[in-house]
Amino acid sequence: MKQIKKIGFWFLVLFILLLVCLPGIWIFVSAFRPNPEILSKPANWIPDRWTIFEFTQMFSIKGYVSVPAFKYLMNSIIISFFSTIIAITIGMMGGYAFARFNFKGKNKIFLGLMLARAVPGISLSLPLFILFAKLGIINTSIGVIIVYVAMNVPFTIWLTDGFFRQIPKEMSEVARTDGCTRFQAFWNIELPLAGPGIGAAAIFAFLLSWNEYALASVLTRTIESKTLPIGMMDYLDEFTINWAGMCAIAVVMIVPAIIITFMVQKHLVSGLTFGGVKG
Amino acid sequence: MANVDLKNLTKKYGDVIAVQNMDLNIPHNEFLVLVGPSGCGKSTTLRMIAGLEEITSGEIYIGDQLVNEKDPKDRNVSMVFQNYALYPHMTVKENLGFSLKIAKVDKKEIEQRVKEAVQILGLDELQKRKPSQLSGGQRQRVAMGRAIVRRPDAFLFDEPLSNLDAKLRTQMRTEIKKLHQKLQTTIIYVTHDQVEAMTLADRIIIMKDGYIEQIGSPIEVFNNPINVFVATFIGSPPMNILEAEIIKRDGKIYFELDQDVLMPCPESKASLLSQKNKVIIGIRSEDISPSNSNTSDEFWYFEKNIDLAEPLGTETQLFIKLKNKEIISRMYNPREIEIGEQINFAVNLNKIHIFDNETKKIIK
Ligand SMILES: Nc1ncnc2c1ncn2[C@@H]1O[C@H](COP(=O)(O)OP(=O)(O)OP(=O)(O)O)[C@@H](O)[C@H]1O
Ligand SMILES: [Mg+2]
Repeated sequence: MKQIKKIGFWFLVLFILLLVCLPGIWIFVSAFRPNPEILSKPANWIPDRWTIFEFTQMFSIKGYVSVPAFKYLMNSIIISFFSTIIAITIGMMGGYAFARFNFKGKNKIFLGLMLARAVPGISLSLPLFILFAKLGIINTSIGVIIVYVAMNVPFTIWLTDGFFRQIPKEMSEVARTDGCTRFQAFWNIELPLAGPGIGAAAIFAFLLSWNEYALASVLTRTIESKTLPIGMMDYLDEFTINWAGMCAIAVVMIVPAIIITFMVQKHLVSGLTFGGVKG
Repeated sequence: MANVDLKNLTKKYGDVIAVQNMDLNIPHNEFLVLVGPSGCGKSTTLRMIAGLEEITSGEIYIGDQLVNEKDPKDRNVSMVFQNYALYPHMTVKENLGFSLKIAKVDKKEIEQRVKEAVQILGLDELQKRKPSQLSGGQRQRVAMGRAIVRRPDAFLFDEPLSNLDAKLRTQMRTEIKKLHQKLQTTIIYVTHDQVEAMTLADRIIIMKDGYIEQIGSPIEVFNNPINVFVATFIGSPPMNILEAEIIKRDGKIYFELDQDVLMPCPESKASLLSQKNKVIIGIRSEDISPSNSNTSDEFWYFEKNIDLAEPLGTETQLFIKLKNKEIISRMYNPREIEIGEQINFAVNLNKIHIFDNETKKIIK
């Protein structure tokens, strides 16, 4: 009886897993086969013919360039990287301030930050477009970075605030009587201890920037500034959709995200030991 | 190497007064112990001296220097917390050397001083471990080592032993005492533990609601408590406290401890009580003990039935009732006691404490 229950449980897990992964698997499979085969009915799960045609096209290893994916990839990397670094720096300092200091209107400011996150990004697209156009930063990486920083800061503040709260405040107090300035105590003691939390916040911020579509589609319209999600739309012609190309560029998007998550995740777990306090 | 002086020190958190007009001179090398009920402002006092808490008014001097405006890092005092607060991401050795590293002391010197502390505290084998791999007692030791390494002007201890079990606590207590003798430094020490306070202190401060109730050597505060609060706070079991009517009979003064139980007032105190109808009498349990004779003039004798007896080995604590209040007596040559047994008690009249029933202050 117990055996059957166990087997049933794992089947359920497998089923849910498949359900979740199916679109992803389809994208991967489709990236490596020609367009007609993708459209064949009934669906063909295992390609008859594997090809890396779309990838060679994108990265112009030979001949004709379909979509300047390399350029888009670089844009995405630059924008995501810098917006994450900036957002995490500001968020970390903000989170520390919320966790450690008492100041007037603290709760209201915190609530305000969280509410800012509740505004749907797309509703800001038109005002932002006009504003950026006037400022002359439309179609630039800087513009997008500014928007992404603004989107990510409330979230990183919220997350790091929680992590700083978990560190006993005696830790920095001892450090300060040990001869540290407040900043040295933060830098040498609290920051390393909050490391895993800050890492987690950074991943989330990075992924959000990496995947964002709605605002970028309004603010970046040139090859020089488009990010990967926007670049994907290049495969949309007036009458046809190049599904294979789209899937291939999706793979280019997904793979780095997965790699980064795995890399940082290992870090996250190892850091979570709070042995200095009683227990 | 420094004295610590507090002048009219006050700390308020909004409307809550944590410490009120505290005046205190702590000479160099004194071991000062702060005791008092929870929330009386002991930690707040320490934290103000360390510079971790802003002061509302008053002045703090360390080594005759006004430190009100100084950062914790510039005060050269070390604090040891109840939860140790070791840096979890550093090894024991790094924990010990951290303050010196921050002060940019050169590597050799750090090495030397860490070694010294390691030897004093017996941490040799643990140097490479992280705090999470240490027992409570070991963590405690590292926390003290970290304080020692800096060679501070004063140590501040906030209930450093309260997380340890009884046996380890006794052991560490002795070590702290030895440490003090070796280091010759001012120590301000907060504790809840009576024995710790009595054994360690050069002077004890008893605080209540942010005020200092009494300062004195352990013997002084034990023998001459200035009010009911101190009398019941210091000593274990707490001093027996009884409200007593004053009865004058044949030109003599008696305290009515219970119906028809009259204790004579010692001659020396009689003149102080002429205006009073009622007083509070305090008698330590060791000053009420079973007795075989009943002849001495210095004692007053009465008989009572035992409600309960708690044998502790070296002594047995006998519980009796006077005016429906539980009174504890100590029997130093324990024998088997039966509940309800009638026993003759002797009260040492020279050792009773008489307090004003309104102000609760000692009458003398
Ligand atoms: N940050 C704070 N904000 C408001 N009130 C505080 C704060 N810290 C302490 N208090 C109050 O100040 C008073 C003194 O606190 P303190 O921590 O000094 O007590 P304590 O004597 O150390 O008590 P315990 O023996 O429980 O440690 C208490 O009434 C406490 O509630
Ligand atoms: Mg306290």
